[in-house]
Amino acid sequence: VRCQHYPPVRALRASSALRRASDEHKKEPLTASSQQHFDSPPAGHQPEEKPQGPHPSYTGQGGQESEDYESEEQLQHRILTAALEFVPEHGWTAEAIAEGAKTLGLSVAAAGMFHSDGSELILHFVSECNSKLSELLEKEQKLVQLGEAEKKPLDEFLRDAVEARLRMLIPYIEKWPQALSVLLLPRNIPSSLSLLTSMIDDIWHYAGDQSTDFSWYTRRAVLTGIYNTTELVMMQDSSPGFQDTWRFLQNRVADAVTVSSTASQVQSTGEAVVQGLMGAAVTVSNAELLLNVS
Amino acid sequence: LRTCRGLAAGPEMHFGFQTVTEEERREKIYQVFETVAKKYDVMNDSMTLGIHRVWKDILMHKMNPCPGTLLLDVAGGTGDIAFRFINYVRSVRQKQLQRKLKHHQNLSWQEIFENYQNDKFNSLGNSQVVVCDINREMLKVGKQKAQHLGYSEGLSWVLGNAEELPFDDDKFDVYTIAFGIRNVTRIDLALQEAYRVLKPGGRFLCLEFSHVSNPLLSRLYDLYSFQVIPVLGEVIAGDWKSYQYLVESIRQFPPQEELKAMIEDAGFFKVDYENLNFGIVAIHSGFKL
Repeated sequence: VRCQHYPPVRALRASSALRRASDEHKKEPLTASSQQHFDSPPAGHQPEEKPQGPHPSYTGQGGQESEDYESEEQLQHRILTAALEFVPEHGWTAEAIAEGAKTLGLSVAAAGMFHSDGSELILHFVSECNSKLSELLEKEQKLVQLGEAEKKPLDEFLRDAVEARLRMLIPYIEKWPQALSVLLLPRNIPSSLSLLTSMIDDIWHYAGDQSTDFSWYTRRAVLTGIYNTTELVMMQDSSPGFQDTWRFLQNRVADAVTVSSTASQVQSTGEAVVQGLMGAAVTVSNAELLLNVS
Repeated sequence: LRTCRGLAAGPEMHFGFQTVTEEERREKIYQVFETVAKKYDVMNDSMTLGIHRVWKDILMHKMNPCPGTLLLDVAGGTGDIAFRFINYVRSVRQKQLQRKLKHHQNLSWQEIFENYQNDKFNSLGNSQVVVCDINREMLKVGKQKAQHLGYSEGLSWVLGNAEELPFDDDKFDVYTIAFGIRNVTRIDLALQEAYRVLKPGGRFLCLEFSHVSNPLLSRLYDLYSFQVIPVLGEVIAGDWKSYQYLVESIRQFPPQEELKAMIEDAGFFKVDYENLNFGIVAIHSGFKL
């Protein structure tokens, strides 16, 4: 029986680890204005009912200017971000988190705050990538609105968005299959699934109101299928610059976009997507088996 | 105890189900462990039917230390936690080395041999454990055990009081106290000391008997504790009273939530606990953030 700790307004003492938020250079992910976009909290942690910003602090006796100290969650975020640097060497493991903690001046025991299978680290990474993608798409949209750039046709837009998102995996591509298998653990599926769907929704949101004949669910399913299958192709791609992957992506998007509006074709696309996902799940579990054997 | 010290001896405390002063309590507890030291391990095995080993293994698993960790095991007496730590860290280190060697695909046999040689002298990866106990007899038994089992590297033995540790601030990565905090007279002081000697980011782990909430189980547990354990104590260790003290002290110890609050008061964050065997034993964990 585990008991989780909810820290409400306990005095966050002036310790060396929890530092002032003002020291921290703000690299907060710009949450896009999309109504469907949300950052999922890492698995295993209850969403804390506290404001996103730093806690108001406790002024000293002399009534000095109030200093803001960061919360535990913010510290955990910092540790996970620092840990990403060590993932190529150590994989998505508690070791990487321990190394990350060390670079922040904390003891390696701080990795004990997280699951030993690296779930939180992976979910954190996915969430950060999604935020980066949103930022990118928002910037592009602004340029189009200001008239400084051409509005892309739908298939090009989708292609570029998915490619941009998948390119973020490149530094970690060797250990990514391991991450995928962890994301498929029953414990993590709610979080990983919601991160995936919010990312897909985001892309569609920025794709704008292009006239398509798809209903909202079909659009979501189609793009999810494209994204997942391309991701898997990328895992096994050894061509220079992943050109095979991008070509695969181009074909898939072209197929999806030129599908006509007849109901039967929409239905068959849906079926094909489901089959694609099943195949994806099998491939990932095979990859996982391979990893365990090697 | 000397009655001339009676007035200045301090506030009333519990020693098992008796009421004593602070000073008296410390003395009595010291005597208890002085007496049981030699038979401590045997009694642990017979009382808990060997399950205490599993509890300690779970504690180590929860800690999941990586090589390079500096552990302080307080009230570590006969060294159970310390030895487990060394074993754990050694095996993690082995796996690390294997992985490293696997990566270097094109090394010659000479290079592999040299690699192995260099790392052989670092089989613990610079991990260290300091065993601290207030009782000389328990430390003596621990040292003998270490020698007998062949543990020498990365192990130190220090005589010290949990309420006033002889260490500098911000020194250790992990602080453990297994089945010891119950015997500390001022638990709050011990927790404060734990906070002091831990590095920022360091972890506090406490393994201790706790309260069983399930009523049926609680009755069986009480029955076993009060009827069987002191008898075992008399038969095996020739000491009924010490084991009577043991079971009484378990009942007097604060329950899970209360201990959690005390740990938070000392300044630890992310404090939570895990019940083992329905609350017979609980592991509390906190971080110095």
